[in-house]
Amino acid sequence: MDVPGYYEFCSRVRIISGHNALEKIPEALTRLTAVKPMIVTDKGVVGAGLIDAVLGAIGNSVSVGALAEDVPPDSDLRVVNNLAKTYLERGCDSIIAVGGGSVMDTAKGINIVVSERACDLMEFSGANSLKRPLRPLIAIPTTAGTGSEVTAVAVIKDHDKHLKMLFVSNFLLPDVSVVDSRMTSTLPPAVTAATGMDALSHAVEAYTCLAKNPLSDAHAMAAIRLISDNLLKVTRNPGEMDGRLSMANAATLAGIAFGNSMVGMVHTIGHSVGSICGVPHGVCMAILLPYGLLYNRHKNGHLTAELLFSLAGPDVYANTPRERRTDEVIERIRKMNHDLRDATNGRHPRFFKEVLDREGRQMVPKEKLQGIAKTALSDGSIFYNPEDLDYGDFLTVLEAAWDGEPLPGNLK
Amino acid sequence: MHMAECNEFISPVKINSGNKALEHIPCELDALDARKPLVIAERGAAAKYRIDVLIEAFKDSGITIGIFDEVPPLPSLLLIKELFGIYRDRGFDAIIAMGGGSAADTAKVLNIAVSGRPEDIDRCVGEDLIEKHLKPLIIVPGLSGTGYEMSRYAFFDSRSYASPFLVPHLAVIDPRTAIPEDVLTTSASTLLGLTHAVEAYISYGKNLLARAYAYAAIQLTIENLVKVIANPEDSKGCVALANAQALAGCTFSNVKAGIAHGLGNAVAKEMGLPPGVCMGVLLPYILEKRMSECSHDLGELFLPLAGFDTYAETANELRPKRAVDIIHDLIGDLARATGGSVPQSLKDAQVPRQVLPEIARRADYVGLDMEGAVSVLEGAWRGR
Amino acid sequence: MKGFREVAPGKKSLKKDYVAIMMWFMGRAIQAAAAADKAVRNEFAGLPDGFTFALSVMPRGPHMIVGKDKMGSIRYWGWEPEGKRINLMMKIKNIEAAILLFTFQEGTATAAARDRLIVDGEVAHACAIVRILDIVEVYLLPKILARLAVKRYPDWSLRRRYLGRAVVYLRTVFGF
Repeated sequence: MDVPGYYEFCSRVRIISGHNALEKIPEALTRLTAVKPMIVTDKGVVGAGLIDAVLGAIGNSVSVGALAEDVPPDSDLRVVNNLAKTYLERGCDSIIAVGGGSVMDTAKGINIVVSERACDLMEFSGANSLKRPLRPLIAIPTTAGTGSEVTAVAVIKDHDKHLKMLFVSNFLLPDVSVVDSRMTSTLPPAVTAATGMDALSHAVEAYTCLAKNPLSDAHAMAAIRLISDNLLKVTRNPGEMDGRLSMANAATLAGIAFGNSMVGMVHTIGHSVGSICGVPHGVCMAILLPYGLLYNRHKNGHLTAELLFSLAGPDVYANTPRERRTDEVIERIRKMNHDLRDATNGRHPRFFKEVLDREGRQMVPKEKLQGIAKTALSDGSIFYNPEDLDYGDFLTVLEAAWDGEPLPGNLK
Repeated sequence: MHMAECNEFISPVKINSGNKALEHIPCELDALDARKPLVIAERGAAAKYRIDVLIEAFKDSGITIGIFDEVPPLPSLLLIKELFGIYRDRGFDAIIAMGGGSAADTAKVLNIAVSGRPEDIDRCVGEDLIEKHLKPLIIVPGLSGTGYEMSRYAFFDSRSYASPFLVPHLAVIDPRTAIPEDVLTTSASTLLGLTHAVEAYISYGKNLLARAYAYAAIQLTIENLVKVIANPEDSKGCVALANAQALAGCTFSNVKAGIAHGLGNAVAKEMGLPPGVCMGVLLPYILEKRMSECSHDLGELFLPLAGFDTYAETANELRPKRAVDIIHDLIGDLARATGGSVPQSLKDAQVPRQVLPEIARRADYVGLDMEGAVSVLEGAWRGR
Repeated sequence: MKGFREVAPGKKSLKKDYVAIMMWFMGRAIQAAAAADKAVRNEFAGLPDGFTFALSVMPRGPHMIVGKDKMGSIRYWGWEPEGKRINLMMKIKNIEAAILLFTFQEGTATAAARDRLIVDGEVAHACAIVRILDIVEVYLLPKILARLAVKRYPDWSLRRRYLGRAVVYLRTVFGF
């Protein structure tokens, strides 16, 4: 096991995981000396009946101060400020966030405002601007997933000023994360597939990029094993509760891994595709993951090779010649996309040209690739990628990922 | 859908490990809103050396540090009272524990007093009686502590405290301070950690987070313990070993103690030996005893012990036994590397055979009947 | 109390001086490269008017401040951050981390991966600055050191490699 020259690792969230984890919420609140939580969620989560499940599990022992279901798909400063106002007006003393990435970010933002009585959230943006613990926050993820229930980061958009505010602080970590299989059991197959590949990309990039360390490696490997054993299974059979729990656990493990070891070019490019074309994050990750591994191969191929153990099991690992393992990993991830496409009746795309919106229109027109490549130059995750990418490199990868072609052999 | 128990895990400590880790402490103090740390260290040359290194690391930071480096091996509450006075009167706002053992325990208990009221150190004796976050506590572990430094436990003057709030906020592992003081204590604290990690791996296999930490702790121990004992100048190995100890401590805070822990403690108490050494000697024999009921988990244990390649090349049905063999080999290699300071068997440790049943009777553990415990002790007495 | 003392650890003057000198060279080299190199000019062109960035060692320096003047030219503004409006601060957490960086034991990417830096300001701007720093390091350093500093040693034309380097050196030393 490689111990890097220097690393930092922090994951201080109390994680409760199981088929009945929600029922532990009252005790969790008591331990945090909180009595009046505000539930922050979005309409999708409410519509899926998940808030009812949370409320049912909480029972009468907890009096909910407010239920905020207006969180938009993209975190919004105005929503954060409004909900913070509600929190204070209703005398809440804690937040229970139930949802995906945007809900988590919003909840973290609200928590900064109410804990610091902030008039301007911008003051606390950047790294290490928070100096003391915030008010209690319990995170209940409903996808498997973004992992944002265990990250120390929040992104809040100021749509008026066209700004994206980034908040980084260990004080943003939720106090408790409740991972319950019921919370992802209603995810439709396409969303299951995309969010599962998102978790895979987190684990894979955490393991293969520059900030890896022994703990994040252990988390990442465990996540990859769970995903390879369960993602296809739960995509085909959404009600498979053990599989759902395994995927939820995998997403948390992967979240801890990348929260500490960061990510690389798959996210650099994926973020840009997402922001310019509105493609769901998990879909971008799924498509770009094999390309990221291929591009970086000359720098970290030996690490990618080790992933085969968790991705395919010890027998395949033993029977694959050492020099073939890297390519085998990349092949298997491509195959995962193929299999998921079948399992979702064609909804899960394998390449960008296959990404369609609800009306069947192409979401990533080829003409936009140049703009995406340009935007990618501004994404900080590139710092952690083992190899450099300039505009030309970004464009090359995007073009290959657009129609599923291999990368040209003469790269670098 | 089965109504299985939930799994829980928390590891509140941040770990900074590697080259120039000490120099990051001023920044970390700032992030914890602290400006004036009180450093607590055991008396002795090793501690003095480490403090000199720390002072050097704080140069250019503009921070004044308080230093108390006279903690005795068995400190008393009077010491806490005196340190409390200094902390309060001199305006300290954080504690840095240098090295492990009594310095770490003193620091943890002092932190209870300064974060609330002095009476809290009486009120909070026992399990989970601390109600809120304590003031910043940083630990700079060596390699020869107790093995509990990173955990939720503090042992002070025959009192036991247990609370997640006792876990340090930050552990700083630096090659200049993660040095093995003596082979026996280093072996003991590492074996204590290994025992905890292995027992967690076997008994808490479904707690994936505990397993992740245990996995890293076990692999780092197997790869580095004998290496470091044989060559204490191997600073990379020392840092890796300190990581192993830290991660094992984090694991232990989340699981109940296992059989090797309980039986090992009983042997240690009876014979006045380091608990970690006793646990390490007993561990393979306990695993053998549990082979039939735990063979799947023992097979999985083979992974961190042997690595991907060897695991993959070994047939499934052979993995449990090979896992136990690796641990036997570790103890054997350690015994040779320490010139017998770490015994290969209870016989080599001068344990009289006739006290074994009494030890089994007095031991505090769950999961093995008296007969089983005696047979484990007998096996460990005879050795290989 | 016996065994207790307070210590105010001193300074690391020699190391600070070394870093200060390296930063001085770097600042002037950035100014030089911005005038002589198209890629550096393009990167700066993408940054807002009046953009100023500082590379600083915590807690109290040394500093390197570089920014755009009213005409859009890139200027090395010296080592004093006081009184300047700084858009992007790249803070090196301590003098030892700065030494690791400026003695090429840790390249920029390694330093970032090892949490040696804090970036205060927009990430997009930080990305541009890191690309600029990479180019400047390739100009300034012999290949053997530059390869330690940057992730990918670029394949430049002979003209850029020799003539460009000479121009950047001259401009750095003579400050024009």
